[in-house]
Amino acid sequence: MKITLLREIVWFVALILLQTLVLNRISVFGIAIPVLYIYFLIKLPKNRNLFYVVISGFLMGLIIDIFLNTPGINAAATTIIATLRKPLIDIFFSKVEYEDFVPSIYTETGAFLRYSVVMVLLHQTMLFFIESFTFFNLTSTLIRIGASSVLTLILIVALDSLIYRRISGI
Amino acid sequence: MKQCMRNLFNFIIRNGWWLLAVLLIVFSFYLVFTQNSYQRSVYLSSANRVSAELYRLSGKVTSYFYMRKNNEELLTQNAKLQNELQTLKSYLNNLVLDSIQTNPFVDDSTMTARFRFIPANVVNVSFFGSNNYITLDKGLQEGVKSDMGVVSQNGIVGVVLTASDHFSVVIPIVNPKFRLSGKLKNSDNSGSIVWDGEDLHYAQLEQLPKHEVFNKGDTVVTSFSRIFPKDMVIGFVVGQGKTNDDNFNAFKIRLATDFHSLQHVFVIEDIYYEEESILEKSVE
Repeated sequence: MKITLLREIVWFVALILLQTLVLNRISVFGIAIPVLYIYFLIKLPKNRNLFYVVISGFLMGLIIDIFLNTPGINAAATTIIATLRKPLIDIFFSKVEYEDFVPSIYTETGAFLRYSVVMVLLHQTMLFFIESFTFFNLTSTLIRIGASSVLTLILIVALDSLIYRRISGI
Repeated sequence: MKQCMRNLFNFIIRNGWWLLAVLLIVFSFYLVFTQNSYQRSVYLSSANRVSAELYRLSGKVTSYFYMRKNNEELLTQNAKLQNELQTLKSYLNNLVLDSIQTNPFVDDSTMTARFRFIPANVVNVSFFGSNNYITLDKGLQEGVKSDMGVVSQNGIVGVVLTASDHFSVVIPIVNPKFRLSGKLKNSDNSGSIVWDGEDLHYAQLEQLPKHEVFNKGDTVVTSFSRIFPKDMVIGFVVGQGKTNDDNFNAFKIRLATDFHSLQHVFVIEDIYYEEESILEKSVE
């Protein structure tokens, strides 16, 4: 239990640093920004305490907001995703009975991909529409949602494959 | 009654995370709507100590990537200043030779420069959709306050939004919330500079009179502004712009400042800013 918690804290910090110091400087054609920090929520075990999920999601978003000077935008979107995570897991991984189940691309490839696509798309949509309260342009917003989602998903799949390899020692 | 209380208590325990989630979401939206205005808390911006320090450290590393380009720009700037210096020197020499004419040019010793330039380094440029901000490594202790103008050697950068003791956050031209009035250098008609949220290199000069004409490459400079000195370069006209209002003309301009490789900037302190704003307030 303690080791799991420690590992999650390390992931939490690492993803924030990766997002703010590296990924946010990558801006493909000025439209797509990879938003990888959501990987933290995607990889939390199925039966994780829901208070813990919601609070960590909120904190993650708020810290990212502080770094990017976008107060509330990431916090709101990520808290909403954290709230929707449990029902989504129940839908996509309905066959899995194992309690400590962690979504992974190797155990349930198809389900993991569908689950990630929905999580990322929802997150991106929230992000850009909340942002649009201050600035709005429908076409460019939709293009941005699409492009950023694709980029984020590529990174999630790459990262997840990489981690599995390292753990299983292949 | 006791049973009822227990039920309620159980309900909260079981569904409390829902309530918490709703509370946190409401709080986040509160931040979105209050913090997007000009009043911002320093703690919730990248000017706070932890994030600013982190950005400063990573900025140290990434600054090497742009060193060559920045060096070249500094050399060009240096050459330009040298030229100006030589011209002024020879002009001054002429004046000295003709001793009778120098008298009218004796400076009034009480005159001081109105604008003071505070050099600063960019520690981070954050791009998030159209919410772009720049973090600088100078703050209140060095005299940087909110509402001061920021320029690079090439042109206008933006305006200081908030400052902590050692850091400050700048809202750049390339943010839809930024507004500035500008005009063509050889004209007196002012328009406003607007960024459309697409490309970091281009913006528009809008709300110009219909009869205003441009030549490609015309310089766009600041006009009335409490923040910037007159005639500072904003960008260069590249073509006709898009406008929804047929009564006005709009030009597309290429911004003089390159926000991708921006590293060294100057914060402009207007010595008479307070005096002017107090005077203007007293009239309102």
